[in-house]
Amino acid sequence: MAGRTPKPKAKVSVTFAPHGRTVHAAAGANLLDIALASDVKVDAPCGGQGRCGHCRVKVEAGTLRRRHNPKLARAEEHEGYALACEAFVTGDVTVSVPTAEEIRSRPRPGTAAEKIALPFHCDWQRHPAIRKLTVHMEPPSLADNTNDLDRLRRELARQHGINDVVVGVGVLRTLAKALRDADWNVALTLDMRNWVLDATVPPRLLAIDRASDTSPNFGLAIDIGTTSVVAYLVDFATAEVVDTVSAYNGQISCGEDVISRIVYSQRKGGLERLHHLVIGTVNELLHEIAGRNKIDLTDINEVTAAGNTTMTHIFLGLDPKYIREEPYIPTASVLPRASADWLGLDINPHASVYCMPSVGSYVGGDISAGVLSSGLFLTDKLTLFIDIGTNGEMVLGTKEWLISCACSAGPAFEGGGVRDGMRATAGAIEDVWINRETYEPTFRTIGDRPALGICGSGLIDLLGELFVTGMIDKSGHVDRTLSSPRVREGGHGYEFVVAWAPETGRGHDIVVTETDIDNLVRAKAAIYAGFRVLCTSVGVALADVEQILIGGAFGQYINVEKAIEIGLMPDLPWERFEYLGNTSALGAYTALVCTDMRHEVVAIAKRMTYLELSADNAFMDEYTSALFLPHTDLATFPSVKVQVETNGTAARHSGHRSRAAQRVSAEGDS
Amino acid sequence: MTELEIPVEKWSGAVRLVTLGATGDGGTRTSTVTVGGETTLPFLHFEGQIPNAPVVAAEVVDMHPADWSPALLEALGDDTRDPAAWARKMVGLGADLISLKLRSTHPDQGDRSAADAVATVKSVLAAVGVPLIVYGPGVVDKDNEVLVAVADATKGERLALATCEDKNYRTIVAAALGNGHLIVAQTPIDVNLAKQLNILISDMGLSLDRMLMDPTTGAVGYGVEYTYSVMERLRLAALMGDGMTQQPMICSVGEESWRQKESRVADGVPESWGEYATRAVVWEVTTATALLHAGADILVVRHPRSIAQVQRSIAALMKGV
Amino acid sequence: MALTGLQIYKLLPQTNCKECGFPTCLAFAMKLAQKGTELANCPYVSDEAKASLDAASAPPIRLVAIGAGERAFEVGNEVVLFRHEKTFYHQPGLVVRVKADDPKIVELTARMVSSYAVERVGMSLRLDGIAIEDSGGGAAAFAAAVAVARSAAPGLPLVLMSTDPAAVGAALDEAGADRPLVHAATAANWQAMAELAKKHSCPLAVRAESGDLTALADLAAQVQDAGVDDIVLDPGTSDPAGMLAAFTQLRRLALKKNYRPLGFPIIAFVGAGSAEEQAAMAAEAITKYAGVIVLDGFEPALIYALMTLRQNVYTDPQKPIQMEPKLYEVGAPTASSPLLITTNFSLTYFTVSGEIEASGVPVWLLVADADGMSVLTAWAAGKFDAEKIAKTVTASGLGGKLKHHKLVLPGYVAGLSGEVEEELAGWEILVGPREAVEIPNYLKSVWKAD
Ligand code: SF4
Repeated sequence: MAGRTPKPKAKVSVTFAPHGRTVHAAAGANLLDIALASDVKVDAPCGGQGRCGHCRVKVEAGTLRRRHNPKLARAEEHEGYALACEAFVTGDVTVSVPTAEEIRSRPRPGTAAEKIALPFHCDWQRHPAIRKLTVHMEPPSLADNTNDLDRLRRELARQHGINDVVVGVGVLRTLAKALRDADWNVALTLDMRNWVLDATVPPRLLAIDRASDTSPNFGLAIDIGTTSVVAYLVDFATAEVVDTVSAYNGQISCGEDVISRIVYSQRKGGLERLHHLVIGTVNELLHEIAGRNKIDLTDINEVTAAGNTTMTHIFLGLDPKYIREEPYIPTASVLPRASADWLGLDINPHASVYCMPSVGSYVGGDISAGVLSSGLFLTDKLTLFIDIGTNGEMVLGTKEWLISCACSAGPAFEGGGVRDGMRATAGAIEDVWINRETYEPTFRTIGDRPALGICGSGLIDLLGELFVTGMIDKSGHVDRTLSSPRVREGGHGYEFVVAWAPETGRGHDIVVTETDIDNLVRAKAAIYAGFRVLCTSVGVALADVEQILIGGAFGQYINVEKAIEIGLMPDLPWERFEYLGNTSALGAYTALVCTDMRHEVVAIAKRMTYLELSADNAFMDEYTSALFLPHTDLATFPSVKVQVETNGTAARHSGHRSRAAQRVSAEGDS
Repeated sequence: MTELEIPVEKWSGAVRLVTLGATGDGGTRTSTVTVGGETTLPFLHFEGQIPNAPVVAAEVVDMHPADWSPALLEALGDDTRDPAAWARKMVGLGADLISLKLRSTHPDQGDRSAADAVATVKSVLAAVGVPLIVYGPGVVDKDNEVLVAVADATKGERLALATCEDKNYRTIVAAALGNGHLIVAQTPIDVNLAKQLNILISDMGLSLDRMLMDPTTGAVGYGVEYTYSVMERLRLAALMGDGMTQQPMICSVGEESWRQKESRVADGVPESWGEYATRAVVWEVTTATALLHAGADILVVRHPRSIAQVQRSIAALMKGV
Repeated sequence: MALTGLQIYKLLPQTNCKECGFPTCLAFAMKLAQKGTELANCPYVSDEAKASLDAASAPPIRLVAIGAGERAFEVGNEVVLFRHEKTFYHQPGLVVRVKADDPKIVELTARMVSSYAVERVGMSLRLDGIAIEDSGGGAAAFAAAVAVARSAAPGLPLVLMSTDPAAVGAALDEAGADRPLVHAATAANWQAMAELAKKHSCPLAVRAESGDLTALADLAAQVQDAGVDDIVLDPGTSDPAGMLAAFTQLRRLALKKNYRPLGFPIIAFVGAGSAEEQAAMAAEAITKYAGVIVLDGFEPALIYALMTLRQNVYTDPQKPIQMEPKLYEVGAPTASSPLLITTNFSLTYFTVSGEIEASGVPVWLLVADADGMSVLTAWAAGKFDAEKIAKTVTASGLGGKLKHHKLVLPGYVAGLSGEVEEELAGWEILVGPREAVEIPNYLKSVWKAD
């Protein structure tokens, strides 16, 4: 920072709006330095290195001398924006700085609390899934002694043109009383059963109420993740999402990943227990959402569920054993209807539960749902859709063809298998910057709580930072010669201290170890290798991919820039990346309300080609090639190459040289 | 009768030139060996330049290798008890350079000191004028100790210090950097790992013209096909311009070939294996030739007949320059 | 030129009817692009699509069968220049040459060649044929020598080496039904040779002088025009450099230029040098594109090495590299050295054994057959479970060799230790580190024999 120290020069006055503070500074001084010296809070997580682009200010009056920085578009420069760390005062100036509140509430990519809506236009009203109809009957008499059910059928045909209806014994038991209680004016809830493509399949009667009864008509869309379960309560009348809830999957105690769950399911009573745990989780969510919205759970008349193949199997009580064993065969891909009472869900007991169809053992209904909600099946653009979790599932294609694969990345990106890793909940470090001169990190935690650990996005950030600052080499080894108290040899090899014990809510230092780094590098390598193999398998280049859609519960928090730095994501222009949020839940929701989309998701699953990687040598080759930062073939990461060559790593190398080879210079070798 | 148009590849890259041994500035060699520089696949003279023929290094060990195959010990005679005499003999038999293994410094093989190793290396340097490749005992800590001492004591000789591996390269690279030596980077039969180690070592500041790569040799019947394909892939990448795969390649043909039952056991084997002495030499020659065609620049061999045959093959293959 | 999976897919019906045995048309197309299935398996391809796909998939190097019956062998039909690009499919036939002048030697050689077999990794490797070389003694003598060879080695494929059409004609009258390879048609005799080859439906080698490929192409075209389909090329090179250049150019012309007149397998002669000289020449021929290799005399020591190299070079490199599942000694382990177990994925093995070596502690390393998968993958796929581990330990016969009965499991399968203990009565199951890097520390500070 010595270079920024102004020579004694004319004083200028700098006003910070909206604080209204005015200070005097030497001409030529750096704006960020001035702000910090005057206690004006500017968001600069990278410590003023010009790398994060957060310290943006707007010039209201006067001018600044600005260094160009890629973090600020030229257009924004023209609008008067500047990065404080790249700006120097030359005369009196007024700049406006976002307030602390503004900074905190600034939405992170994809996390804007926007209303959940159907991802694209569809004609959901054309064939509603569940219909409410009122039917008026003459009471029976000696002259018209038709039985109750036939009477109902007769009027249903007359008044609504519905000639046939299936009535199960369960509903039949309530029929006589319900008709009479309602004085022969009833409201019927009908499951139109339009999952079945055959239009002649008659609807099924779900409930009979008084005609005056205006109880609402709800549906539920669930995303059954290995880690967490998310549910959307949907109003069939408007097709809108009324509320959402989520919770950890109760099965977590039986293993963190699908393989562990399958192993668990093979114990005595294991499958039943897993099944009950996930049903229990869904029921808890149901009660929470019912309480919060003051609704009657029996008004939920249909459910769609999206989960990976294993989760779907267990949810339905199917044995997942053969999913794990070669040749990896699921019981079924397109799954039949199940009824709520049979599964034990606390909703209308006659309600149907439909699971999203899967493609293969390791590409499940969550991915079919993701392809549906992402709109990938409609696009002309060569698109890569990815769902990053324990299993990195990905789909490549256009509206004409789809190919998918799954690569086991391990739980590192969900905070598993990493010493101080954690899920993305309050207290998790999610954003990290390291100063490349002092090696001091600055970080942000979810909810601004004391740090408890590091979540997946934080780990990606951290890895990227350690790499571009040259603290670790391209193979992920910590530079042992760094003089920083944060680099030390711990019980499991070298480690970097991200937070000292007093800064945490844990009482001990939060660190990342070389083994953690190894695990992260392996996780990112598996995913990147998947991209490459998928592209090669159909003969397209990764660089030709026109858009990358990131779905899944974790995807929306990924910092693309950092993900590219470490070689997790391909080095493509940022505009090609898009976050879609929880595509699995969105897909289940879309299929819940729109009949056409129900047929579409089945068609998607059926036509999607599944590429098995487990026996694929090409995958292993790509994988080892990706076990490097950012990649063994640096030429495929041009933007990172530039950084590595101009940034920290180069600086470190010269450091190496001077240390390792003081003897050399005498000889004139270097 | 129209002339055929022969397909010729236009390669953009070349194998890097690496010179072993030095005759001045601290170097006491009477000759140096330069390998690399190829701008085409092995021996395709119709397509590109092959300025330097591949060379043959003879393997010499700093202690009498009593566990070696009897066929070898017989052929080498008493000279195996003195590394200097042994080296001199091999140069006389046509070796272009000497590969000296400091086996006696291994903790289980005598655990001789770094100072002893330095003395051995110096005696061999004094006995022959050709360049040297010096192998440590193959145990991380001892490798570092021994090779650093040797490097320091032979400053300027442009020895090739072997081996740098993914888990242990920094100390040896630093020793090479400080004393004007070369290193041999060894990786386990994998293109990516080979490339990664080259990158890591060059990131330490060692210039690429001081690095040889050893993709790990498999003998015929014992993984030669893996080595063969990895070398072919590395060489193709080098010719296509990938700067981190352009190091000349060295193969421990003798060590791998003579370790196998085919080369060690004369009796109690199937008759179809054929006559022992011939089989053992043929095994080494076959391994060497296959790898020569995959792009080997330095072949380390053991048997006098193999040295002669590999030299004959190289000479014949270089014909057409 | 070969089409990509996506290009083929565009020509298919895209109905995903599954009748081809693949779940989708794209899956079928990708397999087809890798030449792993046949277009005929899809009943719904349009004729138009069929025509363009057939043209793209015609083999650039013709598959030629030599010999008849059980021991006949096929060469050619190769699709790549480098084995890693796909694989080399049809290994070159190894043939031993014998001169026709001494019937006794012909008979003896034929017997030895015919009965020679060597066992390697569960496969019995054999020689492919015998080449009878006309020594100028006239047609009758040549035919007689061929007859001797035939009766000494019934069914063994033959190469008839003579440029004298009369001699070849006589020999073919004897052995024509066996589809011997006739070597060779030259600029001087090709009409007569082609006539004979056509008459007996035999493969015919065409020979040019000292690598003149233009002449070779003309000759091949003429012979083909004369009605011979099965051709083998001999560019007439006898030195290593010339052979390499000619063979490389032939392969490139066929594959890269799709040059049909030279789209045939090649025959190589390794000369009459010492065993190691022949070894060098034959190793070149094996790695660099020969379809038939003629050795000079029956020398088992040479043959064994060459057969092994041939087997190696012609294994499919697309299969994951696997280690042979067995007990490995790292260092010089004794009865009280630790016993570790891992899977047979080569990288796993190399990493683990590398770390053990680095530790300086001698170890028994037991490698289990897990289809070449790493520990975690194998565990996930159920290929490295308690049962497999127990079986591997029992089969190794280690129980008797060791003083202790302790087995160290990879840390990643720590969860299996209880089950393994149940399966392996009397063994104590220890859990090692998850990562190979931690092995040295484990061996030095944690492991104890008693
Ligand atoms: S049989 Fe033909 S149409 Fe049917 S899936 Fe296979 S390729 Fe497609």
